Amino acid sequence: MTRSVLIDRRVFVKAAGSAFLAALAPRGALALERAGAVFASGYRAPDGSFGLALLSERGERVAGIDLPGRIHGLGFCPATGKTVAFARRPGTFAVVFDARGTSQPVILTSGENRHFFGHGHFSPDGRLLYASENDFDNNRGVIGLYDARDGFRRICEFPAHGIGTHDMTVSDDGRLLIIANGGIATHPDFGRTKLNLGHMEPSLVIADATTGVLIEKHVLPPSLRQLSTRHLAIGKNGRVWFACQYEGARNDLPPLIGHFGKGEDISFVGLPEDTTIGLANYVGAIAINRQEGLVGVTSPRGGLAVTLDAKTGKVVHEQRIADAAGIAPGAGGFAVSSYGGRFAATQSPVAWDQHIVRLALGR
Amino acid sequence: MRIALSLIASLCLAFPAVAQDRSAEIIPMVMEKAVDDFIRPGYRHFRQTADDLQTSMRALCAEPSAGNLKSARTAFGQTVSAWSRIEIVRVGPVIEDNRFERILFYPDRKGTGLKQVQAILATPDESAAAVETLMDKSVAMQGLGALEFVLFGTGSDILANERSGFRCRYGAAIAGNLLRLGGELAAEWDKPGGIQAAWKQPGPDNPVFRDGREAITALLGILVHGAEAIRDHRIETFYKGKDSKAFPRQAIYWRSGNTWNSIHGNLEGLRSLLDRSDMVALLDGNSRSVIASIDFVTRSLIRMTEDMNPDIEAAVADEAERARLDFLLLNSKDLIMRLSDEFGGAIGLGAGFSFSDGD
Repeated sequence: MTRSVLIDRRVFVKAAGSAFLAALAPRGALALERAGAVFASGYRAPDGSFGLALLSERGERVAGIDLPGRIHGLGFCPATGKTVAFARRPGTFAVVFDARGTSQPVILTSGENRHFFGHGHFSPDGRLLYASENDFDNNRGVIGLYDARDGFRRICEFPAHGIGTHDMTVSDDGRLLIIANGGIATHPDFGRTKLNLGHMEPSLVIADATTGVLIEKHVLPPSLRQLSTRHLAIGKNGRVWFACQYEGARNDLPPLIGHFGKGEDISFVGLPEDTTIGLANYVGAIAINRQEGLVGVTSPRGGLAVTLDAKTGKVVHEQRIADAAGIAPGAGGFAVSSYGGRFAATQSPVAWDQHIVRLALGR
Repeated sequence: MRIALSLIASLCLAFPAVAQDRSAEIIPMVMEKAVDDFIRPGYRHFRQTADDLQTSMRALCAEPSAGNLKSARTAFGQTVSAWSRIEIVRVGPVIEDNRFERILFYPDRKGTGLKQVQAILATPDESAAAVETLMDKSVAMQGLGALEFVLFGTGSDILANERSGFRCRYGAAIAGNLLRLGGELAAEWDKPGGIQAAWKQPGPDNPVFRDGREAITALLGILVHGAEAIRDHRIETFYKGKDSKAFPRQAIYWRSGNTWNSIHGNLEGLRSLLDRSDMVALLDGNSRSVIASIDFVTRSLIRMTEDMNPDIEAAVADEAERARLDFLLLNSKDLIMRLSDEFGGAIGLGAGFSFSDGD
């Protein structure tokens, strides 16, 4: 359960302090870029405070930014150099900053009676920011649209065509929204309590990025209705990979990773039983290394990072990493972080959050 | 698919080496005590107070009087107290079939539940006066929040004068519904081979916890999330600090003066779970002071709730009371950190142990 306090911009700046904005100002950002920051991730410091760190390829911390609350998912736009970090659900703030140092940072808040679900993505040209949000009084997910040319003003919303929306992303051509509806009802009045585990409705959706109109909806079969479809990554050929968390019996062994293309049924990857057991029915993050044709997943509960061949779905590497958290394409596969302070080749006294974004093109 | 028994994982696979020997034996003992000495008695106690509440309501309906109204209001406060102690458990059967929201629909920021209750009192609907049909109505109309308005809200004085009136019979049905829900929860946890067995015996073929680490993470999660709920969903709903506007009518049970009774119960629940489960046994001698410091902070918070003014509107307007509220906010944050970081760290769980809860 996390704080349900709705943080508006004024409160945010007050709580974060002037150091927050100074750290994100153009001059500071330029210095960061020169220093070689290639990853961003949220963290919790030993004193309980929260922040966002920029890190090198090896995981060395380049800079840290204090934040008033915990962030979760991040997005990066290669066209504009902007990075967005969303508050963890049921948070209501997001921060957009510019690693190229060409503009001031922007703090945005979700609309009235909405909170962020913790994920979002820029359109390829960077003109729009899409965010997964909860219309909690009506128990439905929505995608909020924010105009990057107008201070990230919230301009409208599309239905997510499901409930418990979590991750969402955008196709490379910008025409499609891909949405993971985890199917779990939550309401900020009840914190993070899951309100409908007996009748979950997980689904994977493709919608028109211009109109929000539903194009495809993949509903999981009744036998997998407690398999929450939560995280997404898009491969080079547009193939959508998804990762799941299972809310059913702990000694079930459901499939946890799958993929699909537009117009196709979803397919699950048949992992070796030991690997499925190792993932502990909980995949926390998924990433794709397009250059190397690899899919990477992590399980904090299982303490495992697994790398798959994107073409065959075969396991090519497994690594035991206690509390494995974020994963992002890195040199020679993937950079992996942990709640215990590991980040790629480094160790520090912070708890990394569950997602990492790579701040560069190429991988 | 089920995990094959042949693929037996170590009970405490991910615990630090130092803690493994201890935890393999101690975790099942701690889980058993948590279930048998806190959770099951907690639900039974709630069921008993709900039973007493129903009896009081029925007596009030049959023999309306100022004395019987007072007795019913007292029974309501006792039910709030019992529920608040076990309310900290937000896992298991209580989150199935919307039981949690049926017992307590809060906060009701838009007054949805209040409007529904007021509407049915204005235009009586006999189906709300029987448990069997009340349970099919809005969850906001069938729990403690609804009964609070019946017993303490505008027009409640009529309960002392009107024999078998609708308002009273609706209230009795709510009490009956609370008894039904309390009975279901007690039965679920008492059922041999059911959830109590799953909690007590973590293992590879267990439907809830595959190993000891998962079990103890969930148990500590009750404490951490319970402490977070006190701060975020009980205090900060009406008071966020001296520089923020207060909203006294957003406080839980403000109408009946049970706000601090409830928060006191929540804190007692935390302290009781920590104590009765003997979680201190998970720690080696060098780190057992962590428990003492947690107990000290919790007791300080409990004592402060005993001194608070139950009139929340008056409390937030009074400088001395606001200082006490600031104390509660500050120390509840400290309690969360001590449970999450100090205790979690001492038993080998990283500071982020509660991170992987559905994100």
